Amino acid sequence: MLVLAHAGHWLAQLLYVAPVVIIVAWLGVQNLRDRRAGKQDNQKGAA
Amino acid sequence: MRRVLFTGAATATAFALTAAPASAHGLVGRTDLPIPDWLFTWGATAVLVVSFVALAALWPSPKLQNHGWGPLPAGLSRVLTSRAVDVLCGATGVALLVLVVYAGYAGTNSITANFAPTFVYVGFWLGLVPASLLLGDVFRAFNPWRAIGRASGWLFSRISPSGPEPLVYPKRLGYWPAAVGLLAFGWLELVSTSGDQPRTVATATLVYSAVTLVAMTLYGVEQWTSRGEAFSVYFGLFARLSVFERRDGRLGLRPPLAGLPSWPVESGAVALLAAMVGIVSFDGLSAGKPFNDSVGPINTWLRDSLGLGAPDALTVIFAVGMVAATVVAGAFYVLGVAGARSVDRGHSTRELARSFVHTLVPIALAYVGAHYVSLLLLQGQAFGYLASDPLGNGSNIFGTADWTIDYAFIGAEAFWYVQVGLVVVGHVIALVLAHDRALVVFDGAKAAVRSQYWLLGVMVGYTTLALWLLAQAREG
Repeated sequence: MLVLAHAGHWLAQLLYVAPVVIIVAWLGVQNLRDRRAGKQDNQKGAA
Repeated sequence: MRRVLFTGAATATAFALTAAPASAHGLVGRTDLPIPDWLFTWGATAVLVVSFVALAALWPSPKLQNHGWGPLPAGLSRVLTSRAVDVLCGATGVALLVLVVYAGYAGTNSITANFAPTFVYVGFWLGLVPASLLLGDVFRAFNPWRAIGRASGWLFSRISPSGPEPLVYPKRLGYWPAAVGLLAFGWLELVSTSGDQPRTVATATLVYSAVTLVAMTLYGVEQWTSRGEAFSVYFGLFARLSVFERRDGRLGLRPPLAGLPSWPVESGAVALLAAMVGIVSFDGLSAGKPFNDSVGPINTWLRDSLGLGAPDALTVIFAVGMVAATVVAGAFYVLGVAGARSVDRGHSTRELARSFVHTLVPIALAYVGAHYVSLLLLQGQAFGYLASDPLGNGSNIFGTADWTIDYAFIGAEAFWYVQVGLVVVGHVIALVLAHDRALVVFDGAKAAVRSQYWLLGVMVGYTTLALWLLAQAREG
């Protein structure tokens, strides 16, 4: 209950972390894209 | 410097943490900003992302790795690097060292009225940071231990010309002694319950002097100064951001930022930079509400479960907190570097961590600048009265003993903007340095940019942490 009662405070604190979360998510997406692109390049090279 | 007052009461909350005037980097009071604090974090992140994109587009080849250097006019260089100036600066450093010890033992016990605490924690620890940034490695000239070591060496060589050569500095030691020295200073400043007492400051100064002089005797003055002596390494790193550089005995100018990529990275370099960031981070964290809200329950638990007294429990909490902040700062960097490795598996994480570690220097500078700018500008004014009355015994040597500190000469809002500006600029510089190094380490500009996605994440993380800590300290 105490945690919920202070939800406003903690949510406000989370706003600080939002840019980090966005950047990390973008990093993850970019990494996946790079891996896919790398695999496609390898397949083309093998063909 | 944190003054911890133990009230001695028997209840679980029988302690109080108060920032001494000389320690109050949170002197920046709460003020109503036009936008919420957290929005500054978003703005700073936007600046970093834009800088990252601009670097990727406009900085295709390394520019800082093999920098040029132009000498200053011969006359000026000759004067500044002359033996007379060297001796004068060294003697000044020794005189200040003696004054700190003397004032610490012979002066008043009042923290703010005694020269020793304010000089060590404000004039020396903070004041030399902007001095190094603007003027180069000034501490090298004023370093009292180097001056004593060199003078002793000169004297010894006159008495016994065939004396023993110093030992070879062990490679594995690298910067570890400097990292440990900084953590020890951080312990004195932030953990010790009496670290701001004049007598403690004087004793710590004597102990550090003894250790340093013994190490200099063993390994040679210059070897120990360049790697093992904590403050020489610390201020020397900031001096590498300045445009002044000494080459072959001549003073000259180099391009801005060009000094850092040539820093000789050795064992312990990552730990050293982690300590530089971690100590300041912990200082900010310990001034904030979340930390202070959790200290009480942890203190109670430590006393109940381990039987510690309240002051000892508090010391344990602060010591663990400072070390944990250092470990987290270092781990976060290594995590980013490990991510950058995914671009090119030909490099080990260790190798990359050493290649990019110099990029943490402007971040450490941003942390120090943002956290302590108010303390330096406000408490630094104390030297007005301390110069006339260093012992706090009522003397008035220069007629300035009645000077006071003007706490209102810069508004709280102005301080906040300066702090945010320092954090953002420091991290943008770090991005520039990382991008320039990546162009050398990785094959091709594309791989270099991809590797920097990860370091961008690290920079955004450090920026967010810095601004969050500052906001907590303001509200704490």
